[in-house]
Parts: sequence; structure tokens; C-alpha cells
Amino acid sequence: MKCKRCGELAAVKLPSHHAGFCPTCFEGFFKKQVETAVRRHGMIGRDEKVLVAVSGGKDSLALMRVLTDLGHVVEGLHVHLGIPDSSDPVAERTRAFCAANGLTLHVLHTAEHGLAVPDVKDAVRRPVCAVCGKIKRHYFNRFAYENGFAALATGHNLDDETARLFANVLRWDPAYLGTQGPTLPGEGKFVRKIKPLYRLTEFETAAYCFLKGIDHWKAACPYSGGASFTGHKKLIADLEDRSPGQKTAFYEAFLAQGRPHFAGASRGEGQDTLYACAQCGFPSSGEVCGVCRVREQVAAHKARREAV
Amino acid sequence: MITVTIDGKKPPITYPKIKTVLQLLNNLHLRVNDALIIRDGELLTPDRHLWPGDQVTVRMVVSRG
Repeated sequence: MKCKRCGELAAVKLPSHHAGFCPTCFEGFFKKQVETAVRRHGMIGRDEKVLVAVSGGKDSLALMRVLTDLGHVVEGLHVHLGIPDSSDPVAERTRAFCAANGLTLHVLHTAEHGLAVPDVKDAVRRPVCAVCGKIKRHYFNRFAYENGFAALATGHNLDDETARLFANVLRWDPAYLGTQGPTLPGEGKFVRKIKPLYRLTEFETAAYCFLKGIDHWKAACPYSGGASFTGHKKLIADLEDRSPGQKTAFYEAFLAQGRPHFAGASRGEGQDTLYACAQCGFPSSGEVCGVCRVREQVAAHKARREAV
Repeated sequence: MITVTIDGKKPPITYPKIKTVLQLLNNLHLRVNDALIIRDGELLTPDRHLWPGDQVTVRMVVSRG
């Protein structure tokens, strides 16, 4: 197979684009997709500073690299979750990548905020992944807000977004459908959320990392029973395999024709009004936000254990 | 004989009769964009030939949380 652009031997075949690319032209394709996403959805303004949520996986490291290569002012935040045998090596790998690429990385330890994830797992009765996600979203937003970043960028790709859209459609969840998209505008203490990789698949991000020599973390979190929406991703991948381009068509058509119908949909009675959390001051649907409530649960659980 | 390592798992699998990347993908029940197929530090498209003695790495691309 030959590269669609230059005619050299292709390294990557992309059926959804009816194309194959050599390593050099694939990088150009990848950057172009990100550039288009940023421009079409008003993700990043001139000279705006962007915080990238960096897990250490392929998507977040690729995102750091490509945004920097496109000339954006980018810094990373890695949230160290305090998980034994996992968080330290992931943080180390992330630090090494940023140091090698001259990128600024901040590391926030949830343990220093009373929220080491093993303690959270012991203290809460809900699935720990949901709580961990809530904690990470809180600190990514809070760090971005408190340090003057205009936007928070996450590494969500086309597979993540179509799987989430599919799940929201299966439930016909109007509030989630009304806010799903590549850009969520900032409001109050919520900074703008952006997903510059939303036009690229996991395969394309993985290929980009391989070709750019990005040494990302590959193991799954020891607490996860598999990534969320994995079953949905398989279904959509089957559709894509039979009819290449379906993922992009599904998502882009939703943005153009579906989402406007759900704009401003209510989250439910008493869920739409946000208050300042009595403890941390960040937006909350109740008097105390979910993260501060989890912190209280962790402290209470520890106190009970010590008393026994 | 082609030697295939999937996501670093040991021992590797050997295939005596596979001749192309597409045949390998089909044998592993993988779609074209489910995994990176790597030989000697190079990414291979499905139409590429595999030769006896090749050492191939299959790197799955789906996030695992």
C-alpha cells in the first residue's frame, strides 16, 4: 500500500479515510485533524494557556506533544492517585516524557488532600472508578482555575466520544446529550473543557505515539475492571469495520443535528442550580460538593478503623 | 515460521503458514485498526508480506482504563 500523499510505502492504513500514509504524511494528517478540531470548535484562543490532563497513557501524551508542536502554550497536570505499584511508575514515566520534550508538568498527590484512592476504595460503597473520576475532574478543573489556565484539555478520542454518545442515546439522557461535545464553555469556577483529539481514533493516537517514539504507560489501572464503555466500543468498531466512516458520521451528525435539540435540558429537579461548596468553594449541587463529602467519608472510615 | 508477541505476553505464538499481516489479523480475530502490527521497529499495513523468521509484535490499541 502506498501513501496517499507522497506515494512512498504506507505505514498506516485508515479505511475510514480511504487512505494509507507514510510516517511523515501521517504526522501531517494527525496534526491537521487536531488543528481542525481546535479551529472549528473555538477550543483555544490566541496566546491562551492550556492545561492538559495527563494520565501517562497514549492519548494524553500524544495530546501534550501535538498541541505543543502546533504552537500552543501547554502545561500538564498529572494526578498521582497513591495506588501501590501503579501510581509511582506511571508518574515517573510521565515525568520522563515531559523532561525529554521540554514540557512543564505539575504533579498533584491526592493523598496530600486526604484522598489517596486506596483509602477512598475502602471508604466508599460505590464503584471506585466513578469516585476516582470525580476526584480527578475536580482537581484538574480546580488547578486550571486557580492557576489562570483558559482551558483544560483532555485526551478523549473519537472512540471515547462515540461510545459515550451511544450510551447517552441508549438512555436518551437529555442533560448529557445537551452538553456532550468537543468543547464545553467555561462558566464561573468551571474552566472551558476541550477535547482536541475528538476527530482521531485510538488506533490513530496509538500509531502517532509509536511513530513519534512516545513511551506511554500501557498497563490498565489495577482497580479498573476494564475501561468504561468497552462493550459499546466493540459494537461501534463492528459497524465501522463493515462501513468505514460510521464513527465520524455518527458523532459529527449528532453535533450538527442532534445536540441542538437537547441544549439547556434539565438535569432533574434541584440539580440545575449550583452553589459554592461550603468547604472548598467550588461549584456544587448541594451544600458540600461530592469530593469534599468523599474526603469526609475517608476521614470517618479511618477514624473508625483506628478506634477498633 | 512467524513469531508473534501480543502485548508483551509470553510465550510468543508461532505460525508456520501465515503469509501476510491481514492473515495474521484474521487469525487473531482482529479488525484492521484494532492493533498496531510492528516488525523491526516498523508499522505494517495489512497488505504487507510476512516472511519465515519474522518477529512480529501485536500491540492492542484499546484503552483499558
